[in-house]
Amino acid sequence: MLNSVKAWLNRHRYTHPGEGELPHPKPLRDQPLDQTRLVVLDLETTGLNPARDQVIAIGAVVIHGNAIDLRDQFDLILRRPELDISETVLIHGIGPEALTEGHETEDALVHLLEWLDGDPILAYHSAFDKKFLEKTVRQQLGYAMGHSWLDVAELLPLFFPKAETGGRGLDHWSEYFGLQASTRHHAAADAMVTAELTLIVINKALKEGVTTLAQLDEKLRHWRKLNNMKQY
Amino acid sequence: MTRSPDPQPPQNTRAIMGFLREHAPFSFMDEAHLAHFAEHAVLRFYADNDVVLSPDDGAVTEFQIVKQGRVRGERTNQKTGEPETTFEISQGECFPLAALIGERPTRTLHRASGDTFCLSLDHDSFVILFSESDPFRDFCLRGVSSLLDRVNQHIRSGAMESIGTSHSLDTPLERFALRNPIVCSPDTPVRKAVARMHENNVGSIVITDEARRAVGIFTLRDLRTIVAEGDASLEIPIAQVMTGNPMCLPAHADAFEAAMQMAEHHFAHVCIKDDEHRLIGVVSERDLFSLQRVDLVHLARTIGTATHLRTLVSLRSDVSRLVDTMLAHGADSGQVVKIITTLNDVTVRRVLELNRQRNDPEISFTWLTFGSEGRQEQTLLTDQDNGILFSVPEGMTEDQVREKLLPFAESVNRDLAECGFTLCKGNIMASNPKLCLSGREWDEWFIRFIDASTPQNLVYSSIFLDMRAVFGPSGPLEDLLSKVLTRIQKNALFQKMLAENALNRRPPLTMFRGFRYAPDGAPHTLDLKRQGLAPFVESVRVFALANSVEEANTLERIDRLADKGVFDKKDANAWKEAYSLIQAIRMRAHQDLLDKQLPLSNFINPDHLNPLDRRILRESFRQAQRLQQKLEVTYQL
Repeated sequence: MLNSVKAWLNRHRYTHPGEGELPHPKPLRDQPLDQTRLVVLDLETTGLNPARDQVIAIGAVVIHGNAIDLRDQFDLILRRPELDISETVLIHGIGPEALTEGHETEDALVHLLEWLDGDPILAYHSAFDKKFLEKTVRQQLGYAMGHSWLDVAELLPLFFPKAETGGRGLDHWSEYFGLQASTRHHAAADAMVTAELTLIVINKALKEGVTTLAQLDEKLRHWRKLNNMKQY
Repeated sequence: MTRSPDPQPPQNTRAIMGFLREHAPFSFMDEAHLAHFAEHAVLRFYADNDVVLSPDDGAVTEFQIVKQGRVRGERTNQKTGEPETTFEISQGECFPLAALIGERPTRTLHRASGDTFCLSLDHDSFVILFSESDPFRDFCLRGVSSLLDRVNQHIRSGAMESIGTSHSLDTPLERFALRNPIVCSPDTPVRKAVARMHENNVGSIVITDEARRAVGIFTLRDLRTIVAEGDASLEIPIAQVMTGNPMCLPAHADAFEAAMQMAEHHFAHVCIKDDEHRLIGVVSERDLFSLQRVDLVHLARTIGTATHLRTLVSLRSDVSRLVDTMLAHGADSGQVVKIITTLNDVTVRRVLELNRQRNDPEISFTWLTFGSEGRQEQTLLTDQDNGILFSVPEGMTEDQVREKLLPFAESVNRDLAECGFTLCKGNIMASNPKLCLSGREWDEWFIRFIDASTPQNLVYSSIFLDMRAVFGPSGPLEDLLSKVLTRIQKNALFQKMLAENALNRRPPLTMFRGFRYAPDGAPHTLDLKRQGLAPFVESVRVFALANSVEEANTLERIDRLADKGVFDKKDANAWKEAYSLIQAIRMRAHQDLLDKQLPLSNFINPDHLNPLDRRILRESFRQAQRLQQKLEVTYQL
């Protein structure tokens, strides 16, 4: 994969496509849950404030045909805070000498958008990742189109309302299902665990007759409404 | 996407490689092949009871590994119509090998047991790995047996460390054989033959006929006898002093067979012949054991000719050293228990001979052994289970004969105890008047035993129904045995009770595929003998007795049962392998305890085994479960 990133970087270094050439996000319509390509993503950031903090690493895996396809994954470190080279971007596996200053983040983000191909994105507490990612692509590339996002942290209690997880965090749910992250707080590893939880959700959803993304979205809205009502 | 030259693959790929590396056969595969696997895999989820793979899915195209959870095989019972579990696949194990290799649909419905994740590889990637990785191909074709080889290699190399030697006992004899052996014709004068031996610096000469078939062998030891006795001329034809009909084995026989023959018959040389019985070589004891200080043949001969009990007792420590050597030479567990049994037999015979020299009861009797000794399955930890079958000379009553034999038996039992055969706690010994019986009395004894199948009798079945003659004429025992077998064969009730009894000892696996620890041992230990081997021994005994198999040895019984079509050939092999493996692990544990000078025990803690051994052990226990299932089906239990 990294080879192709490199090749791609060389090809596109000075000729960024405009926003119009980048793939358009796909809305949640009647794509079948078990046939469509879904991206499960996790970001590592320097902090929790989207206005001030930066994205350090992007990890993402793809669910396609009801399975996590390891041939199709994204694992990129944008900046290592411990190295503290403010504008330098170290792309995982590509030596600094191969990169020209200033364009690396852009290159990586363009590649990410192309790789995403406008497909729906799932994340754990997706609001967080959504804000950071949208801010970053807007600032760096001027890309302002919003992807469709689904929050795995909402999907899990929706389909497993009785689960006694002892908390709402990613760790609580992975422990509940006996999953193990290969390393903690690593974007790609967290994306993997989130994707495994997503597989569990899809399995349950299909059994409950939820077969398309639109149905899933609808069910989620309904659940949110109910949840809000409960609070009053 | 192509594989990156980057030394660090992405995190998730690395994580999967790490997972694979913990499980055989992947643990034996090259990094590049593991990377290929991890980069081309797909991860799927199955909730509890979901169908993972079905016979209706058509030809299997994916290779799968359980990453988390379990998958069980389900077949419908023909009789009840209920689904039953045929196998379970747990973390790190692969499926469906046979169907994938055979490019056919699976015959078993695969279902998830609990929430399960499986890694799967599509057909193209599978084919690449299959053609490029030797350990992987080996595993796919031979399944768990290929791992068994690894375990044996491991046992072997462990023993090798303490011995340091080269060739294996599985080596075909032709590799050891001296080519173009020194030969002469039967009419050659002794002096001339010896001169030829001297010129060629060898210790033996083979006497052949015109067709180059071995008719005799003459060794330096024979020369020593001639010279010492001093009455034969060295000019006589060698045919008069040679040992006729020398032991001959075909070239494809292995070193183990030769060693056992030599030990049994106290020969030092074996002739190797081709398919037309023509001599092609000679193998000597020294060729087989050139690097060892203790050798089987020599040891057997020393035991067999010892003149004092003292000597016999001191030789016992050599037996243990020999077992180490044998493991180092690649003897498998079946071979090693046979070696131990052979040496034990030689010891028992010698003890009997020495006792008879001191105090001959002057009665013809057969010395019987029961239980593990009867099955030829003794390890270093063994106690005495023996009895006497005597014939009654004319003019004597059975009690009179017994009176003469009992003091003799008592002395033999005592001497054997000194040689390390612990006295039997249950008094199953020849000195017990109830076990020193005539043929008629034994027959009545067995009638009572079979007809009155009390719980106590059933406990004894594992002892008395595995018997063998070690000393004395074997005819009387054969007569007795055939009567007993006929009786059991006709008695369906007794068979059924035996079968029920055999099911009392379950293999130590829990429903959740963990180990069920022994109730009576230290915490977290398994009793390899009672929990591991006994389910095999006892189930096989029931089938053997019900099908008039006369052998007492469990592996031989399985072979005979397969010959008779009672067992499926494949099942028979799987059961033999599983049984041998548990035996091997048990023996290795014994050797370790001996090295540390600790008392021998059959308990092991599975956590102390390496992951491969642990898995194979579990697989072996699962085979025991299958065997017991067959018993349940056969006797409708």
